[in-house]
Amino acid sequence: MNASVSKSTGRSAAPRAVKLRLANVSKTFQNGTQTVEALAPLELEVKEGEYVVFFGPSGCGKSTLLNLIAGFEAPSAGEITLEGRPITRPGRDRLMMFQEHALFPWLSVIKNVMYGLKNEPQFRFRPRKQREAARSWLKMVHLEEFESALIHELSGGMKQRVALARALAPDPKVLLIDEPFPALDALVRGKLYGDLQDILTRTGKTIISVTHDSREAACLGDRVVVFTPRPGRIKKEIHVDLARPRDINDPKVAEYAGRIMAELEGQPDEKRAG
Amino acid sequence: MKSEQAKRPFLYVSFFYLLIFAVWQMLFSAGLIPDYLFPSPVQVGKRLWELGSDDYLLPSVKATLVRMAMGFSIAAAIGLGIGLLMGTSPIMNSCLKSLFLGLQTLPTAAWVPISLLLFGLSEQGIYFVIIMSSTPAVAIATSAGILHIPPLYLRAARTLGTRWYAMPVRVILPAALPAIMTGLKLGWTFGWHGAVSAELIKSTVGLGFLLNMGREMNDASQVIGIMLVTILFGLLLDRFLFGVIERRIRIRWGLEKKE
Repeated sequence: MNASVSKSTGRSAAPRAVKLRLANVSKTFQNGTQTVEALAPLELEVKEGEYVVFFGPSGCGKSTLLNLIAGFEAPSAGEITLEGRPITRPGRDRLMMFQEHALFPWLSVIKNVMYGLKNEPQFRFRPRKQREAARSWLKMVHLEEFESALIHELSGGMKQRVALARALAPDPKVLLIDEPFPALDALVRGKLYGDLQDILTRTGKTIISVTHDSREAACLGDRVVVFTPRPGRIKKEIHVDLARPRDINDPKVAEYAGRIMAELEGQPDEKRAG
Repeated sequence: MKSEQAKRPFLYVSFFYLLIFAVWQMLFSAGLIPDYLFPSPVQVGKRLWELGSDDYLLPSVKATLVRMAMGFSIAAAIGLGIGLLMGTSPIMNSCLKSLFLGLQTLPTAAWVPISLLLFGLSEQGIYFVIIMSSTPAVAIATSAGILHIPPLYLRAARTLGTRWYAMPVRVILPAALPAIMTGLKLGWTFGWHGAVSAELIKSTVGLGFLLNMGREMNDASQVIGIMLVTILFGLLLDRFLFGVIERRIRIRWGLEKKE
Protein backbone atom coordinates (compact mmCIF):
# COMPACT_ATOMS: atom_id res chain seq x y z
CA MET A 1 0.00 0.00 0.00
CA ASN A 2 2.92 2.41 0.21
CA ALA A 3 4.91 3.86 -2.60
CA SER A 4 8.24 3.45 -0.89
CA VAL A 5 11.01 2.33 -3.18
CA SER A 6 12.58 -0.08 -0.76
CA LYS A 7 9.55 -2.35 -0.82
CA SER A 8 10.65 -5.71 -2.09
CA THR A 9 8.70 -8.84 -2.75
CA GLY A 10 10.84 -11.83 -3.62
CA ARG A 11 10.12 -12.75 -7.20
CA SER A 12 10.72 -16.41 -6.58
CA ALA A 13 8.41 -16.58 -3.54
CA ALA A 14 6.48 -19.82 -3.91
CA PRO A 15 2.87 -20.20 -4.99
CA ARG A 16 1.69 -16.76 -5.89
CA ALA A 17 -1.91 -15.65 -5.77
CA VAL A 18 -3.83 -14.98 -8.95
CA LYS A 19 -3.95 -11.21 -9.41
CA LEU A 20 -5.88 -10.83 -12.61
CA ARG A 21 -8.29 -13.32 -14.13
CA LEU A 22 -9.83 -13.15 -17.61
CA ALA A 23 -12.74 -15.56 -17.89
CA ASN A 24 -14.17 -16.29 -21.33
CA VAL A 25 -13.40 -12.72 -22.43
CA SER A 26 -14.16 -11.73 -26.02
CA LYS A 27 -14.54 -8.49 -27.94
CA THR A 28 -16.43 -7.72 -31.13
CA PHE A 29 -16.67 -4.38 -32.89
CA GLN A 30 -19.60 -3.14 -34.94
CA ASN A 31 -18.31 -1.75 -38.20
CA GLY A 32 -21.38 -0.45 -40.01
CA THR A 33 -23.53 -3.52 -40.57
CA GLN A 34 -20.51 -5.79 -40.20
CA THR A 35 -19.52 -7.41 -36.94
CA VAL A 36 -15.78 -7.80 -36.57
CA GLU A 37 -14.46 -10.24 -34.02
CA ALA A 38 -11.35 -8.67 -32.51
CA LEU A 39 -10.79 -11.19 -29.75
CA ALA A 40 -12.06 -14.77 -29.68
CA PRO A 41 -13.13 -15.97 -26.21
CA LEU A 42 -10.03 -16.47 -24.11
CA GLU A 43 -8.98 -17.57 -20.64
CA LEU A 44 -5.95 -16.14 -18.88
CA GLU A 45 -4.60 -15.78 -15.37
CA VAL A 46 -1.89 -13.40 -14.27
CA LYS A 47 -0.20 -14.07 -10.94
CA GLU A 48 0.98 -11.64 -8.31
CA GLY A 49 4.35 -10.18 -9.27
CA GLU A 50 4.38 -11.81 -12.67
CA TYR A 51 5.54 -10.06 -15.84
CA VAL A 52 3.34 -11.18 -18.72
CA VAL A 53 3.99 -10.06 -22.30
CA PHE A 54 1.28 -10.12 -24.96
CA PHE A 55 3.09 -10.81 -28.19
CA GLY A 56 1.72 -10.85 -31.71
CA PRO A 57 1.52 -9.04 -35.03
CA SER A 58 -0.56 -5.88 -35.35
CA GLY A 59 -4.27 -6.61 -35.57
CA CYS A 60 -4.09 -9.58 -33.20
CA GLY A 61 -6.12 -7.80 -30.55
CA LYS A 62 -3.34 -7.56 -27.97
CA SER A 63 -3.76 -3.81 -27.53
CA THR A 64 -7.54 -4.25 -27.40
CA LEU A 65 -7.06 -6.74 -24.58
CA LEU A 66 -4.88 -4.25 -22.73
CA ASN A 67 -7.59 -1.59 -23.12
CA LEU A 68 -10.15 -4.02 -21.69
CA ILE A 69 -7.95 -4.66 -18.66
CA ALA A 70 -7.40 -0.89 -18.26
CA GLY A 71 -11.18 -0.44 -18.36
CA PHE A 72 -11.22 1.96 -21.34
CA GLU A 73 -13.51 -0.49 -23.11
CA ALA A 74 -15.84 -3.21 -21.85
CA PRO A 75 -15.58 -6.82 -23.08
CA SER A 76 -18.44 -8.02 -25.32
CA ALA A 77 -18.67 -11.17 -23.22
CA GLY A 78 -16.92 -12.68 -20.24
CA GLU A 79 -15.47 -11.03 -17.18
CA ILE A 80 -12.17 -9.55 -16.07
CA THR A 81 -11.49 -9.55 -12.35
CA LEU A 82 -8.67 -7.93 -10.40
CA GLU A 83 -8.19 -9.57 -7.01
CA GLY A 84 -11.65 -11.04 -7.42
CA ARG A 85 -13.38 -7.74 -8.17
CA PRO A 86 -14.77 -7.15 -11.67
CA ILE A 87 -13.28 -4.32 -13.74
CA THR A 88 -15.82 -1.80 -14.97
CA ARG A 89 -13.88 1.41 -15.62
CA PRO A 90 -10.38 2.93 -15.63
CA GLY A 91 -8.75 3.22 -12.25
CA ARG A 92 -5.55 3.88 -10.44
CA ASP A 93 -5.19 0.20 -9.53
CA ARG A 94 -4.36 -0.49 -13.21
CA LEU A 95 -2.15 2.29 -14.52
CA MET A 96 -1.23 2.40 -18.16
CA MET A 97 1.96 3.60 -19.79
CA PHE A 98 1.06 4.74 -23.29
CA GLN A 99 2.87 4.44 -26.61
CA GLU A 100 3.42 8.15 -26.52
CA HIS A 101 4.56 9.44 -23.16
CA ALA A 102 1.32 11.39 -22.40
CA LEU A 103 3.16 13.58 -19.88
CA PHE A 104 1.58 16.96 -19.16
CA PRO A 105 3.71 19.75 -20.66
CA TRP A 106 2.34 22.39 -18.27
CA LEU A 107 3.81 20.55 -15.29
CA SER A 108 7.46 20.05 -14.39
CA VAL A 109 8.91 16.54 -14.25
CA ILE A 110 8.29 16.10 -10.53
CA LYS A 111 4.78 17.56 -10.71
CA ASN A 112 3.97 15.03 -13.40
CA VAL A 113 5.08 12.22 -11.10
CA MET A 114 3.10 13.79 -8.23
CA TYR A 115 -0.02 14.07 -10.38
CA GLY A 116 -1.49 10.65 -9.59
CA LEU A 117 -0.56 10.92 -5.90
CA LYS A 118 -2.91 13.87 -5.40
CA ASN A 119 -5.82 11.43 -5.64
CA GLU A 120 -4.37 8.87 -3.22
CA PRO A 121 -6.04 9.00 0.20
CA GLN A 122 -2.79 8.90 2.17
CA PHE A 123 -1.23 11.65 0.02
CA ARG A 124 -4.19 13.93 -0.51
CA PHE A 125 -3.48 17.55 0.52
CA ARG A 126 0.00 16.57 1.69
CA PRO A 127 2.30 18.13 -0.91
CA ARG A 128 5.48 17.49 1.08
CA LYS A 129 4.76 13.78 1.25
CA GLN A 130 3.81 13.74 -2.44
CA ARG A 131 7.07 15.42 -3.36
CA GLU A 132 9.15 13.03 -1.28
CA ALA A 133 7.50 9.99 -2.83
CA ALA A 134 7.80 11.43 -6.34
CA ARG A 135 11.48 12.14 -5.71
CA SER A 136 12.18 8.56 -4.71
CA TRP A 137 10.48 7.30 -7.87
CA LEU A 138 12.49 9.70 -10.01
CA LYS A 139 15.60 8.37 -8.32
CA MET A 140 14.61 4.86 -9.29
CA VAL A 141 14.49 5.84 -12.97
CA HIS A 142 17.75 7.83 -12.55
CA LEU A 143 16.20 11.23 -13.23
CA GLU A 144 16.46 12.80 -9.77
CA GLU A 145 18.53 15.65 -11.19
CA PHE A 146 15.79 16.59 -13.65
CA GLU A 147 12.90 17.07 -11.24
CA SER A 148 12.33 20.71 -12.10
CA ALA A 149 12.92 20.30 -15.86
CA LEU A 150 10.09 20.82 -18.31
CA ILE A 151 8.85 17.91 -20.38
CA HIS A 152 9.95 19.22 -23.77
CA GLU A 153 13.48 19.64 -22.44
CA LEU A 154 13.87 15.85 -22.02
CA SER A 155 14.94 13.27 -24.60
CA GLY A 156 12.54 10.55 -25.76
CA GLY A 157 14.01 7.94 -23.42
CA MET A 158 13.91 10.29 -20.44
CA LYS A 159 10.27 11.11 -21.14
CA GLN A 160 9.38 7.41 -21.09
CA ARG A 161 11.23 7.01 -17.80
CA VAL A 162 9.27 9.89 -16.29
CA ALA A 163 6.09 8.27 -17.61
CA LEU A 164 7.17 5.03 -15.93
CA ALA A 165 7.77 6.84 -12.63
CA ARG A 166 4.40 8.59 -12.90
CA ALA A 167 2.61 5.28 -13.52
CA LEU A 168 4.38 3.56 -10.62
CA ALA A 169 4.02 6.36 -8.06
CA PRO A 170 0.36 5.70 -7.08
CA ASP A 171 1.39 2.06 -6.49
CA PRO A 172 -0.99 0.39 -8.96
CA LYS A 173 -1.84 -3.28 -8.48
CA VAL A 174 -1.08 -3.89 -12.14
CA LEU A 175 1.09 -1.82 -14.47
CA LEU A 176 0.01 -1.92 -18.12
CA ILE A 177 2.55 -1.00 -20.79
CA ASP A 178 1.35 -0.39 -24.33
CA GLU A 179 4.43 -0.62 -26.55
CA PRO A 180 6.08 2.46 -25.14
CA PHE A 181 9.52 1.76 -26.55
CA PRO A 182 9.44 1.36 -30.35
CA ALA A 183 9.94 5.08 -30.93
CA LEU A 184 13.32 4.97 -29.20
CA ASP A 185 16.73 4.00 -30.52
CA ALA A 186 18.26 0.62 -29.63
CA LEU A 187 20.73 1.98 -27.09
CA VAL A 188 18.08 3.84 -25.11
CA ARG A 189 15.75 0.85 -25.25
CA GLY A 190 18.43 -1.46 -23.87
CA LYS A 191 18.85 0.90 -20.93
CA LEU A 192 15.10 1.07 -20.36
CA TYR A 193 14.78 -2.73 -20.35
CA GLY A 194 17.43 -2.73 -17.64
CA ASP A 195 15.61 -0.09 -15.59
CA LEU A 196 12.30 -1.83 -15.96
CA GLN A 197 13.68 -5.17 -14.75
CA ASP A 198 15.43 -3.43 -11.90
CA ILE A 199 12.13 -1.88 -10.80
CA LEU A 200 10.40 -5.20 -11.25
CA THR A 201 12.81 -7.00 -8.91
CA ARG A 202 12.70 -4.20 -6.37
CA THR A 203 8.95 -3.65 -6.19
CA GLY A 204 7.53 -7.03 -7.17
CA LYS A 205 5.03 -5.24 -9.35
CA THR A 206 2.62 -7.19 -11.56
CA ILE A 207 3.17 -5.98 -15.12
CA ILE A 208 1.50 -6.68 -18.45
CA SER A 209 3.08 -5.27 -21.58
CA VAL A 210 2.27 -5.49 -25.25
CA THR A 211 4.83 -5.79 -28.03
CA HIS A 212 5.45 -7.06 -31.54
CA ASP A 213 9.18 -7.35 -30.86
CA SER A 214 10.11 -10.94 -29.97
CA ARG A 215 13.41 -9.92 -28.37
CA GLU A 216 11.68 -7.44 -26.12
CA ALA A 217 9.16 -10.14 -25.17
CA ALA A 218 11.90 -12.64 -24.31
CA CYS A 219 13.94 -10.04 -22.42
CA LEU A 220 11.11 -8.76 -20.24
CA GLY A 221 8.53 -11.50 -19.80
CA ASP A 222 8.27 -14.22 -17.17
CA ARG A 223 5.64 -15.54 -19.51
CA VAL A 224 5.01 -14.63 -23.15
CA VAL A 225 1.48 -15.08 -24.50
CA VAL A 226 1.59 -15.46 -28.27
CA PHE A 227 -1.46 -14.17 -30.15
CA THR A 228 -2.53 -14.93 -33.71
CA PRO A 229 -4.60 -12.41 -35.65
CA ARG A 230 -8.17 -12.18 -36.97
CA PRO A 231 -9.72 -12.93 -34.59
CA GLY A 232 -7.17 -12.53 -31.80
CA ARG A 233 -6.55 -15.90 -30.20
CA ILE A 234 -4.00 -17.22 -27.72
CA LYS A 235 -1.81 -19.63 -29.60
CA LYS A 236 0.72 -20.56 -26.99
CA GLU A 237 2.17 -19.45 -23.68
CA ILE A 238 5.92 -19.64 -23.28
CA HIS A 239 7.64 -19.42 -19.89
CA VAL A 240 10.98 -17.70 -20.06
CA ASP A 241 13.17 -19.37 -17.45
CA LEU A 242 16.09 -17.00 -17.41
CA ALA A 243 17.55 -15.18 -14.43
CA ARG A 244 17.16 -11.42 -14.19
CA PRO A 245 18.44 -8.95 -15.07
CA ARG A 246 18.45 -10.16 -18.65
CA ASP A 247 20.40 -8.41 -21.37
CA ILE A 248 18.62 -7.86 -24.66
CA ASN A 249 21.81 -8.99 -26.46
CA ASP A 250 22.21 -12.19 -24.43
CA PRO A 251 22.24 -15.22 -26.82
CA LYS A 252 19.83 -17.06 -24.48
CA VAL A 253 17.34 -14.22 -24.83
CA ALA A 254 17.82 -14.44 -28.60
CA GLU A 255 17.16 -18.17 -28.43
CA TYR A 256 13.86 -17.61 -26.63
CA ALA A 257 12.99 -14.84 -29.08
CA GLY A 258 13.50 -17.35 -31.88
CA ARG A 259 11.14 -19.81 -30.18
CA ILE A 260 8.52 -17.13 -29.68
CA MET A 261 8.77 -16.08 -33.30
CA ALA A 262 8.56 -19.69 -34.45
CA GLU A 263 5.38 -20.19 -32.42
CA LEU A 264 3.81 -17.27 -34.20
CA GLU A 265 4.82 -18.51 -37.61
CA GLY A 266 3.41 -21.94 -36.86
CA GLN A 267 6.62 -23.96 -36.73
CA PRO A 268 6.67 -24.86 -33.05
CA ASP A 269 9.41 -27.49 -33.26
CA GLU A 270 11.94 -25.73 -35.38
CA LYS A 271 14.72 -23.93 -33.52
CA ARG A 272 13.44 -25.24 -30.20
CA ALA A 273 16.15 -24.89 -27.62
CA GLY A 274 16.78 -27.40 -24.86
CA MET B 1 19.37 39.14 -25.56
CA LYS B 2 22.27 41.59 -25.48
CA SER B 3 24.00 40.20 -28.55
CA GLU B 4 24.65 42.28 -31.66
CA GLN B 5 21.97 40.45 -33.62
CA ALA B 6 19.35 41.08 -30.98
CA LYS B 7 20.13 44.80 -30.92
CA ARG B 8 20.01 45.31 -34.65
CA PRO B 9 16.25 44.96 -35.27
CA PHE B 10 15.76 47.70 -32.72
CA LEU B 11 18.04 49.98 -34.78
CA TYR B 12 16.23 49.19 -38.02
CA VAL B 13 12.86 49.78 -36.41
CA SER B 14 13.91 53.11 -34.87
CA PHE B 15 15.26 54.19 -38.23
CA PHE B 16 11.98 53.15 -39.90
CA TYR B 17 9.93 55.35 -37.59
CA LEU B 18 12.32 58.28 -37.95
CA LEU B 19 11.87 57.91 -41.70
CA ILE B 20 8.08 58.01 -41.39
CA PHE B 21 8.21 61.20 -39.34
CA ALA B 22 10.70 62.73 -41.78
CA VAL B 23 8.47 61.97 -44.78
CA TRP B 24 5.49 63.34 -42.87
CA GLN B 25 7.37 66.58 -42.10
CA MET B 26 8.51 66.86 -45.73
CA LEU B 27 4.94 66.43 -47.05
CA PHE B 28 3.83 69.14 -44.62
CA SER B 29 6.64 71.48 -45.66
CA ALA B 30 5.73 71.01 -49.32
CA GLY B 31 2.46 72.75 -48.41
CA LEU B 32 0.20 70.66 -50.65
CA ILE B 33 -2.60 70.47 -48.08
CA PRO B 34 -3.65 73.34 -45.77
CA ASP B 35 -2.09 72.95 -42.32
CA TYR B 36 -5.40 72.97 -40.41
CA LEU B 37 -6.21 69.68 -42.19
CA PHE B 38 -2.72 68.24 -42.27
CA PRO B 39 -0.63 69.29 -39.27
CA SER B 40 3.08 68.63 -38.91
CA PRO B 41 4.54 66.18 -36.39
CA VAL B 42 5.72 69.20 -34.38
CA GLN B 43 2.19 70.64 -34.22
CA VAL B 44 0.80 67.27 -33.16
CA GLY B 45 3.45 66.96 -30.47
CA LYS B 46 2.75 70.46 -29.26
CA ARG B 47 -0.98 69.79 -29.04
CA LEU B 48 -0.39 66.58 -27.10
CA TRP B 49 1.86 68.50 -24.73
CA GLU B 50 -0.90 71.09 -24.20
CA LEU B 51 -3.48 68.36 -23.58
CA GLY B 52 -1.06 66.84 -21.10
CA SER B 53 -0.38 70.03 -19.20
CA ASP B 54 -4.08 71.02 -19.20
CA ASP B 55 -4.77 67.72 -17.44
CA TYR B 56 -6.83 66.24 -20.27
CA LEU B 57 -4.56 63.48 -21.53
CA LEU B 58 -3.62 61.41 -18.48
CA PRO B 59 -7.12 61.20 -16.95
CA SER B 60 -8.44 60.08 -20.35
CA VAL B 61 -5.78 57.42 -20.87
CA LYS B 62 -6.45 56.23 -17.34
CA ALA B 63 -10.24 56.23 -17.85
CA THR B 64 -10.02 54.12 -21.02
CA LEU B 65 -7.56 51.69 -19.43
CA VAL B 66 -9.70 51.31 -16.28
CA ARG B 67 -12.83 50.67 -18.38
CA MET B 68 -10.88 48.11 -20.39
CA ALA B 69 -9.46 46.40 -17.31
CA MET B 70 -12.91 45.98 -15.79
CA GLY B 71 -14.88 45.29 -18.96
CA PHE B 72 -12.30 42.89 -20.31
CA SER B 73 -12.07 40.97 -17.02
CA ILE B 74 -15.81 40.39 -17.12
CA ALA B 75 -15.65 39.47 -20.82
CA ALA B 76 -12.77 37.05 -20.21
CA ALA B 77 -14.66 35.31 -17.40
CA ILE B 78 -17.83 34.97 -19.48
CA GLY B 79 -15.86 33.92 -22.58
CA LEU B 80 -13.90 31.28 -20.64
CA GLY B 81 -17.08 29.87 -19.12
CA ILE B 82 -18.93 29.69 -22.42
CA GLY B 83 -15.81 28.36 -24.21
CA LEU B 84 -15.47 25.62 -21.58
CA LEU B 85 -19.11 24.63 -22.09
CA MET B 86 -18.68 24.63 -25.86
CA GLY B 87 -15.44 22.69 -25.67
CA THR B 88 -16.85 19.96 -23.46
CA SER B 89 -20.37 19.59 -24.83
CA PRO B 90 -20.80 18.83 -28.55
CA ILE B 91 -24.45 20.01 -28.40
CA MET B 92 -23.49 23.38 -26.91
CA ASN B 93 -20.69 23.66 -29.45
CA SER B 94 -22.88 23.11 -32.50
CA CYS B 95 -25.52 25.52 -31.18
CA LEU B 96 -23.23 28.33 -30.06
CA LYS B 97 -20.40 28.14 -32.57
CA SER B 98 -22.16 29.86 -35.48
CA LEU B 99 -23.73 32.40 -33.11
CA PHE B 100 -20.39 33.46 -31.68
CA LEU B 101 -18.62 33.39 -35.05
CA GLY B 102 -21.39 35.69 -36.31
CA LEU B 103 -21.03 38.01 -33.34
CA GLN B 104 -17.28 38.09 -33.89
CA THR B 105 -17.71 39.26 -37.49
CA LEU B 106 -19.89 42.14 -36.35
CA PRO B 107 -17.82 45.37 -36.35
CA THR B 108 -17.37 46.46 -32.73
CA ALA B 109 -18.74 49.95 -33.49
CA ALA B 110 -22.03 48.29 -34.45
CA TRP B 111 -22.62 47.64 -30.74
CA VAL B 112 -22.68 51.38 -29.98
CA PRO B 113 -26.19 52.27 -31.25
CA ILE B 114 -27.85 49.41 -29.38
CA SER B 115 -25.92 50.28 -26.22
CA LEU B 116 -27.17 53.89 -26.54
CA LEU B 117 -30.73 52.60 -26.76
CA LEU B 118 -30.30 50.24 -23.82
CA PHE B 119 -28.15 52.30 -21.46
CA GLY B 120 -28.36 55.87 -22.73
CA LEU B 121 -25.28 58.00 -22.17
CA SER B 122 -24.15 56.04 -19.14
CA GLU B 123 -20.89 54.36 -18.18
CA GLN B 124 -22.54 50.91 -18.30
CA GLY B 125 -23.05 51.36 -22.04
CA ILE B 126 -19.27 51.47 -22.59
CA TYR B 127 -18.81 48.31 -20.53
CA PHE B 128 -21.58 46.69 -22.57
CA VAL B 129 -19.76 47.47 -25.83
CA ILE B 130 -16.42 46.19 -24.48
CA ILE B 131 -17.95 42.97 -23.20
CA MET B 132 -19.93 42.27 -26.37
CA SER B 133 -16.87 43.01 -28.51
CA SER B 134 -14.37 40.78 -26.74
CA THR B 135 -16.41 37.87 -25.33
CA PRO B 136 -16.94 36.02 -28.68
CA ALA B 137 -13.21 35.90 -29.49
CA VAL B 138 -12.38 34.49 -26.05
CA ALA B 139 -15.19 31.92 -26.20
CA ILE B 140 -14.29 30.72 -29.70
CA ALA B 141 -10.56 30.43 -28.95
CA THR B 142 -11.24 28.60 -25.67
CA SER B 143 -13.58 26.06 -27.25
CA ALA B 144 -11.26 25.50 -30.22
CA GLY B 145 -8.31 25.05 -27.86
CA ILE B 146 -10.22 22.50 -25.78
CA LEU B 147 -11.41 20.57 -28.84
CA HIS B 148 -7.80 20.25 -30.00
CA ILE B 149 -6.49 18.74 -26.76
CA PRO B 150 -4.84 15.39 -27.53
CA PRO B 151 -7.27 12.72 -26.20
CA LEU B 152 -4.25 10.98 -24.72
CA TYR B 153 -3.99 13.66 -21.99
CA LEU B 154 -7.58 13.07 -20.94
CA ARG B 155 -7.06 9.31 -20.94
CA ALA B 156 -3.89 9.57 -18.90
CA ALA B 157 -5.60 11.90 -16.41
CA ARG B 158 -8.54 9.54 -16.12
CA THR B 159 -6.37 6.51 -15.34
CA LEU B 160 -4.44 8.58 -12.81
CA GLY B 161 -7.68 9.05 -10.91
CA THR B 162 -8.87 12.51 -11.99
CA ARG B 163 -12.64 12.78 -11.61
CA TRP B 164 -14.79 14.54 -14.20
CA TYR B 165 -15.40 17.57 -11.97
CA ALA B 166 -11.66 18.09 -11.49
CA MET B 167 -10.87 17.75 -15.20
CA PRO B 168 -11.39 21.42 -16.20
CA VAL B 169 -8.95 22.79 -13.63
CA ARG B 170 -6.39 20.00 -13.67
CA VAL B 171 -6.25 19.10 -17.37
CA ILE B 172 -8.63 20.82 -19.79
CA LEU B 173 -7.81 24.47 -19.10
CA PRO B 174 -4.05 23.95 -18.68
CA ALA B 175 -3.87 21.87 -21.87
CA ALA B 176 -5.80 24.52 -23.81
CA LEU B 177 -4.01 27.48 -22.20
CA PRO B 178 -1.82 28.43 -25.19
CA ALA B 179 -4.93 28.70 -27.40
CA ILE B 180 -6.87 30.47 -24.65
CA MET B 181 -4.08 33.03 -24.29
CA THR B 182 -4.20 33.77 -28.02
CA GLY B 183 -7.97 34.24 -27.68
CA LEU B 184 -7.55 36.59 -24.72
CA LYS B 185 -5.11 38.68 -26.73
CA LEU B 186 -7.53 38.88 -29.64
CA GLY B 187 -10.42 39.60 -27.28
CA TRP B 188 -8.47 42.44 -25.70
CA THR B 189 -7.87 43.98 -29.14
CA PHE B 190 -11.57 43.78 -30.04
CA GLY B 191 -12.51 45.21 -26.64
CA TRP B 192 -10.07 48.09 -27.16
CA HIS B 193 -11.72 48.88 -30.51
CA GLY B 194 -15.13 48.76 -28.82
CA ALA B 195 -14.09 50.96 -25.91
CA VAL B 196 -12.78 53.76 -28.11
CA SER B 197 -15.82 53.53 -30.43
CA ALA B 198 -18.21 53.81 -27.49
CA GLU B 199 -16.31 56.70 -25.93
CA LEU B 200 -16.61 58.67 -29.19
CA ILE B 201 -20.29 59.16 -28.50
CA LYS B 202 -21.11 58.70 -24.89
CA SER B 203 -18.29 59.87 -22.69
CA THR B 204 -16.86 62.96 -21.03
CA VAL B 205 -13.45 61.42 -20.49
CA GLY B 206 -11.40 58.82 -22.39
CA LEU B 207 -9.36 58.49 -25.57
CA GLY B 208 -12.50 58.27 -27.71
CA PHE B 209 -13.83 61.41 -26.06
CA LEU B 210 -10.63 63.33 -26.84
CA LEU B 211 -10.82 62.16 -30.47
CA ASN B 212 -14.37 63.44 -30.80
CA MET B 213 -13.53 66.67 -28.96
CA GLY B 214 -10.73 67.25 -31.51
CA ARG B 215 -13.18 66.77 -34.35
CA GLU B 216 -15.69 69.20 -32.80
CA MET B 217 -13.00 71.84 -32.42
CA ASN B 218 -11.76 71.20 -36.00
CA ASP B 219 -8.38 70.42 -34.45
CA ALA B 220 -6.62 67.90 -36.71
CA SER B 221 -3.52 68.02 -34.49
CA GLN B 222 -5.51 66.73 -31.55
CA VAL B 223 -7.26 64.02 -33.61
CA ILE B 224 -4.01 62.70 -35.04
CA GLY B 225 -2.23 63.05 -31.70
CA ILE B 226 -4.85 61.02 -29.83
CA MET B 227 -4.85 58.42 -32.61
CA LEU B 228 -1.11 58.04 -32.08
CA VAL B 229 -1.58 57.71 -28.30
CA THR B 230 -4.29 55.09 -28.86
CA ILE B 231 -2.03 53.13 -31.19
CA LEU B 232 0.85 53.42 -28.73
CA PHE B 233 -1.11 52.02 -25.78
CA GLY B 234 -2.70 49.30 -27.91
CA LEU B 235 0.73 48.24 -29.12
CA LEU B 236 2.34 48.40 -25.68
CA LEU B 237 -0.30 46.20 -24.10
CA ASP B 238 -0.38 43.77 -27.00
CA ARG B 239 3.39 43.33 -27.16
CA PHE B 240 4.54 43.80 -23.62
CA LEU B 241 1.67 42.42 -21.60
CA PHE B 242 -0.22 39.84 -23.65
CA GLY B 243 2.66 39.08 -26.01
CA VAL B 244 5.09 38.33 -23.18
CA ILE B 245 2.63 36.14 -21.26
CA GLU B 246 1.67 34.28 -24.42
CA ARG B 247 5.29 33.61 -25.33
CA ARG B 248 6.11 32.40 -21.82
CA ILE B 249 3.25 29.95 -21.95
CA ARG B 250 4.19 28.71 -25.42
CA ILE B 251 7.80 28.16 -24.34
CA ARG B 252 6.76 26.28 -21.22
CA TRP B 253 4.39 24.07 -23.23
CA GLY B 254 7.23 23.38 -25.68
CA LEU B 255 5.42 25.01 -28.61
CA GLU B 256 8.09 27.64 -29.11
CA LYS B 257 11.80 27.68 -28.54
CA LYS B 258 13.73 30.11 -26.40
CA GLU B 259 16.11 32.29 -28.40
